[in-house]
Amino acid sequence: MATPMAWMDLLQNAQKTCLVQDGRRKLHFTLQDGRELAEEYDLNTNELVVRKWRKKSTLGGTAKWEYEVGELLAPRSLDTDGLMESTSNPIFVRKDTVPAFQWRIRNLPYPLETYSITCDEDQNIIIRTSNKKYYKKFRIPDLERCNIPLDQKCLSFAHANNTLIVSYKKPVQILDMEKALLVEFKKLKASKDGDVDCTPS
Amino acid sequence: MAVPTADKVQEIREVTRMERIGAHSHIRGLGLDDALEARNVSQGMVGQIEARRAAGVILEMIKEGKIAGRALLIAGHPGTGKTAIAMEMGKTEALTQAFRKSIGVRIKEETEIIEGEVVEIQIDRPATGTGAKVGKLTLKTTEMETIYDLGQKMIESLTKEKTKFVQCPEGELQKRKEVVHTVTLHEIDVINSRTQGFLALFSGDTGEIKSEVREQINSKVAEWREEGKAEIVPGVLFIDEVHMLDMECFSFLNRALESDMAPILIMATNRGITKIRGTSEIGPHGIPIDLLDRLLIISTTPYEEKEIKLILKIRCEEEDVEMTDDAMTVLCRIGMETSLRYSIQLITTAHLVARKRKATEVDVDDIKRVYSLFLDESRSTQFLKEYQQEDHGNQLKI
Repeated sequence: MATPMAWMDLLQNAQKTCLVQDGRRKLHFTLQDGRELAEEYDLNTNELVVRKWRKKSTLGGTAKWEYEVGELLAPRSLDTDGLMESTSNPIFVRKDTVPAFQWRIRNLPYPLETYSITCDEDQNIIIRTSNKKYYKKFRIPDLERCNIPLDQKCLSFAHANNTLIVSYKKPVQILDMEKALLVEFKKLKASKDGDVDCTPS
Repeated sequence: MAVPTADKVQEIREVTRMERIGAHSHIRGLGLDDALEARNVSQGMVGQIEARRAAGVILEMIKEGKIAGRALLIAGHPGTGKTAIAMEMGKTEALTQAFRKSIGVRIKEETEIIEGEVVEIQIDRPATGTGAKVGKLTLKTTEMETIYDLGQKMIESLTKEKTKFVQCPEGELQKRKEVVHTVTLHEIDVINSRTQGFLALFSGDTGEIKSEVREQINSKVAEWREEGKAEIVPGVLFIDEVHMLDMECFSFLNRALESDMAPILIMATNRGITKIRGTSEIGPHGIPIDLLDRLLIISTTPYEEKEIKLILKIRCEEEDVEMTDDAMTVLCRIGMETSLRYSIQLITTAHLVARKRKATEVDVDDIKRVYSLFLDESRSTQFLKEYQQEDHGNQLKI
């Protein structure tokens, strides 16, 4: 049974590297099962900006980073990928605040009444549009890791500036766990700006 | 001025068209019936009944796909019908890569796939006629719609791709699914050996792959097979002119055939008892005895006059050349006395000569003319010998 403690243990047992750079605390974990996890926290607000995963593919070799929170900002090349979503499409990004999980979908021009957002029995959150232009099914891995079921009452959404913002209020267990983790992370010895400490004598 | 240029272009075009007919383009199959008995003339094959029957048995073996690590040698005189596939490099790394490229692994892998109904494909060519094409593809499911930008390669494959109709999928366009695909052992090697990937990125070649990597992959694949995750598809590797390989390659082949990841190996040669490259020893077909022992040997025999005539007729049809009966008889004699390949070459050249004198059919005179224009192997050798003697004499005088 996964609990907040299990997730904390997993991180505790992982090989950790910490780096403070660009106003962010950057953490890299190599978990015992070989998966890699990278997180970036804002130093001022303590918000989680990026969380990404990478694991070995079935045939060996390293796959691409998969973003759970934040987005890949490096431009992608059409020549290597062959096919990619046009930049005019809705872009789905998770961007958390301290009290809530939050998702922003940019390039979504339709008015608020177009959207219906529900939780289903399989622990998915589903965004539907009445004009059938956009559909998204997603999960909250944080809740799954702690085995907390979804609650429709925690969901809220707003629409402004071509962007749909969906928020889910974090349950108390998650808030407590994140607070505890933050304390732990601050204890980690961080190297500054990636430079190797080298003082010529 | 414009007229001669147009004429020239016309001529060049015709010559290129003729060059495009490959030497074995008339071969469509082995020409066997369902009971693996060879029909005398079928699918472009003439004669060599015994060899074809044997090849048919091997083909069945391969189709069954159950046996790997078997090797086969096709031996016979020059021009008796061993297919031509060139093999330039002969060192063990190239051989290993060839071996591993011919073994497929069918495995399930979870990948991201995009599945949707096509609403619109729009491909824009730049007005100047050169430069990259720009493409857009709109896909939809029952619930949503998305526009994708298309890269150069994708545009090309989209224009070639045959369309398959499927029902409009539900839900999201992009989803993770388990798909079964076949990769070769060599591809797995490359993926895993590229730790410092950018080297391969610049040179484009993979270089030598460490044997440790290959061993690891072998054991991994064996593990997958036992767990039922993957299936092994043994392939066929064809090495022509096998006497060109040296001793190092032969001893490598010996060992490689023992591995349970070995493909079916087919080799062809036209040498009799000759020196094994890289040694001073002599072996049948230029192959060491211990490797020969592992081979099934199919032998092709020289063609008879009747068969040569049939093959020449098939080639004439293939190259769209009309020939009188007399010319055919003469060409057939040439084929008997020199080689089948030489007489086939003469078809094209004689056809050109005939066209120069505005005839539709190739006649005896055309054949005579090209016979005097182009030397066959033995006449050429004789000429060289004479020339060499003269040269030698000259040198002595000095």
